[in-house]
Amino acid sequence: MERKNFLKSLMIGTVSSSVLIDACKKDAAASATSTTATSGTTTTANGSCSVIQTETEGPFPTKSPALYVRSDITDGRSGYKLTIKIIVNNSNNSCAALENALVDIWHCDAEGNYSEYGGGGMQNTNYTNVHFLRGRQTTDVNGLVTFTSIFPGWYSGRATHIHVHIYNAAGNSLKITQIAFPEGTGTALALVNGYSKGMSGYTPNAADNVFSDGYALEIASVSGNIKDGFELNISMSVPA
Amino acid sequence: MRIITLSYRKIIDISADKQWDKFVFEDSYMEFKMQAQNFSAGTAFTSYGEILRNVPDGQRLTGLITPAVSGYVQQLNGVVPDVLNNSGRRFLKFNRFQLEIINSDIHLKERHQIAINFFTVPQIWHDTIGDLMLVSEFAGTYQSEDEIYTYLLRMQPYLNIHSVKDVS
Repeated sequence: MERKNFLKSLMIGTVSSSVLIDACKKDAAASATSTTATSGTTTTANGSCSVIQTETEGPFPTKSPALYVRSDITDGRSGYKLTIKIIVNNSNNSCAALENALVDIWHCDAEGNYSEYGGGGMQNTNYTNVHFLRGRQTTDVNGLVTFTSIFPGWYSGRATHIHVHIYNAAGNSLKITQIAFPEGTGTALALVNGYSKGMSGYTPNAADNVFSDGYALEIASVSGNIKDGFELNISMSVPA
Repeated sequence: MRIITLSYRKIIDISADKQWDKFVFEDSYMEFKMQAQNFSAGTAFTSYGEILRNVPDGQRLTGLITPAVSGYVQQLNGVVPDVLNNSGRRFLKFNRFQLEIINSDIHLKERHQIAINFFTVPQIWHDTIGDLMLVSEFAGTYQSEDEIYTYLLRMQPYLNIHSVKDVS
């Protein structure tokens, strides 16, 4: 339709313009029973119509959250499904649930690789996600955030872990920590068995340098199986 | 015949007054603040410069912050902002962008300055008339007897010829 193309070409330019469209007359000429369906104009059987509003310069940007803000962080990486539930409470407030805290998590894929490593290179406009297995959620009234991901792999020198960074709503850091996984026969870690890498050369929690200052509070409870997927639950107290 | 690509460096800081620029400023600052605290933890560093100079892998910050602006770049629908042709329209199409952190600080928002570099699709540079370049999008092939639709573009601040290829 001619009018649509005309408006579309106006949107590309930054030149402000007021537009007086008398489209209804044209439509009436084309077909006696047709009505224009665009905003700002009405047409009646007689062909009288309203002036379309002045068009200010476009495009009209809308608030767009960072690509990290998502609950499903799988991003096409293959692995056993892992639901991650983190509850955050406030150690400065009798451990009451902490609402509106921002929780960032990130972890490696089944092969032990992280996204966003070596960042700063050219970014293609097809917006390929190079930030797999990274996500951000805001705690609800119960202090809870939930992510859908895959069970992490492992890499040399580290036990399997998930990075967590908790911020207040203003973006100020409250806690940087890591989640550790239970070890031993029958645990999820044992069932996953390092994916195709196996567990040869694996560093257990007790030998992990990062966990050498103690990790009792960082061990999550992990349930599930390979067929149905796993679920991880952990509560964290942070000073807010 | 010369095939060029152009680049436009759009600088955004706290003085931004257009809505798109303001969104990008706010969101990129919040993301910088959050990501930078991963690097500054345990140190007294708060500025981007200090982190770059002193914290290993500090240069990763640019890549970590890019997802905060990707959504806004997408809203441009592939057309470079600000740069008008001689008819007064935006027309340059880009297919790549790169975020650049010029400066920032975890505590001082007024120090936050970024640039988004837009890289255009290839253009044929036909002629130069005064300070205006006569260009057209290069569609991959070109027959000299074809009639093609061209634009007049004035070389302006922050607009650069990024690459050139002589094709005979």
